[in-house]
Amino acid sequence: MNKENKQEPVIEVNHLVAKYGDTIVLDDVSVQIFPNEITVILGGSGCGKTTFLKNILRLQEPASGSVKFWGMEVTNLEEREFNDRILSRIGMLFQSGALLNSLTVHDNISIPLEQHTQLPDELIDTIIKTKLHLVNLDNVLNLLPGELSGGMKKRAALARALVLDPEILFCDEPSSGLDPLTSLTLDELILSLKQQLNMTIIVVTHELASIHRIADKIIFLDSGKMLFAGTLDAAKQSGIEAINRFFNAEQHTRP
Amino acid sequence: MEQLNYQDKTLFVSGELSFQTVPDLYEQTEHLLKDEQPQRIDISAVSRLDSAGVAFLETVLAKAKASDSSAVLAGASEEQRKVLRTFSSQNIPPEVITVKAGYFEQVADSVLKGCKGFFNYLVMAADIFYWALKGLFSRSGQKKGATVQQAYILGAQALPVVGLLSLILGFILSLQSANQLKNFGANVFLADGLAFSFVRELGPMITAIIVAGRSGSAIASEIASMKVSEEIDALKMMAINPIRYVVVPKFHAMSYVLPVLVMFSIIIGMLSGMLIAVTYLDVSLQNFCTRAINILSMKDFVISFSKTVFFAWLIVSISSYYGFSVEGGAEDVGHATTQSVVSSIIAIIFFDAVFSLIYL
Repeated sequence: MNKENKQEPVIEVNHLVAKYGDTIVLDDVSVQIFPNEITVILGGSGCGKTTFLKNILRLQEPASGSVKFWGMEVTNLEEREFNDRILSRIGMLFQSGALLNSLTVHDNISIPLEQHTQLPDELIDTIIKTKLHLVNLDNVLNLLPGELSGGMKKRAALARALVLDPEILFCDEPSSGLDPLTSLTLDELILSLKQQLNMTIIVVTHELASIHRIADKIIFLDSGKMLFAGTLDAAKQSGIEAINRFFNAEQHTRP
Repeated sequence: MEQLNYQDKTLFVSGELSFQTVPDLYEQTEHLLKDEQPQRIDISAVSRLDSAGVAFLETVLAKAKASDSSAVLAGASEEQRKVLRTFSSQNIPPEVITVKAGYFEQVADSVLKGCKGFFNYLVMAADIFYWALKGLFSRSGQKKGATVQQAYILGAQALPVVGLLSLILGFILSLQSANQLKNFGANVFLADGLAFSFVRELGPMITAIIVAGRSGSAIASEIASMKVSEEIDALKMMAINPIRYVVVPKFHAMSYVLPVLVMFSIIIGMLSGMLIAVTYLDVSLQNFCTRAINILSMKDFVISFSKTVFFAWLIVSISSYYGFSVEGGAEDVGHATTQSVVSSIIAIIFFDAVFSLIYL
């Protein structure tokens, strides 16, 4: 699928099957994700996008299949080893932001630094300020998440996800519930992260505008099955009906 | 014109099947098919079909299928098929219409569920205990100052309630016994009875029940809403063990704070008893104090203390278990909170009985 790119994939998922009880949510999904690309996982609601993320990140145990990060199989790794070798190189932005509600923005962002580094407080404070500046969010250090707007929450959460300089960033529906302008700035932020920090970014979304802006590659899921993986243009020319319908939905909304 | 016709096990339907005609038609069908169910429903002569018509056909067909599973709907034109597809409920998965489980099956099912839940609880309690023990020696994986903060929230803020209820309880208990004791002229024994019951039973149990209702529910709802808003997942993604980060500080705090609250409750209860004894029973202050102190041995305090710490563990582990067991949405948070309080109180009273049996 990817002849010009001879690089090793950072993430390789093979024959992943996920279930909720007896219901199969993901059926034999195989995916490769390459470095320094923005891969967008898309599909309609309930097609298993979020479940896919949760399964490769071991927030849920997959029913079967293999998941490799940097060539290392992780499905049977001990929790501690997974934390040390994989999670320390990954950042994740949750759909709701998932900032701890009882802590201020500063304390939220300092969690990973306090827990996983021995840095003195002054340096921690400086790092937090830099990261907040990176996501264009200043003067919110001492506010609680409840006092922030939806877009600010997402950006603060993004700052937290970036605080340990991850190599891979996962974003679960970054623009859901945001107005078009805010989601545009968030997309620009994601693009600049890729360009400036050479990050590999995986974005789950179904916002067409966002997909067009940021996607290098797309992975299309439909009712638990992977229908397509490749570039956006190739997807549109693939002639697969579900994909056509998905992209045509946009034309229908624009008179 | 008659719209329904029943011949050779086939029900012929004709004309308009709409919101206007279906009510009458349905009644007629009931009448017509009183004794027998058709094997075939022919709609080739139906001129118009809307969602009421589709519902009508589906109901009749379902009844027919109940008596003969091979019953079919026949004669639908291309146009009618479209309408049927649009309004049909048939794309609801068949599992939805399940056979209702029998009584024994239901009982066995809930017993099984209960056992599974209990097993899961034990696993989590062991996990909490392990990390709490480890947390005694190393503070890593916890937020700085979390234990103190939790001690304040779970313990110090519960002082007024515990104090007030112990005071009232002390009054009730001493007034009730005072009346009886007066009859026998055994006024001074109030001190013995009160000291004994407050130290060994009432202090620990009442305090534990109040704290389970007040602080246990707070723990359950806090963890449950963290689970719902993905905060727990976020912690996991930051390579932080949620039990260590969220539960262990509460566990430590509760273990330190509950015995203090129990002591407080005992003191307040005794003071209110003393008030009754001195004013109502004419027992001298000195007499009351010496009797109360003499009746108690070190053993009573050890029992009281060990019971209290055990209750503290029960409250935290049960509340955390219900908090973590929430899957899905915000409405489950309330349910988990209620469940945690009910289960904690049952467990506290049950183990109080067990302790009473052990240390008779």
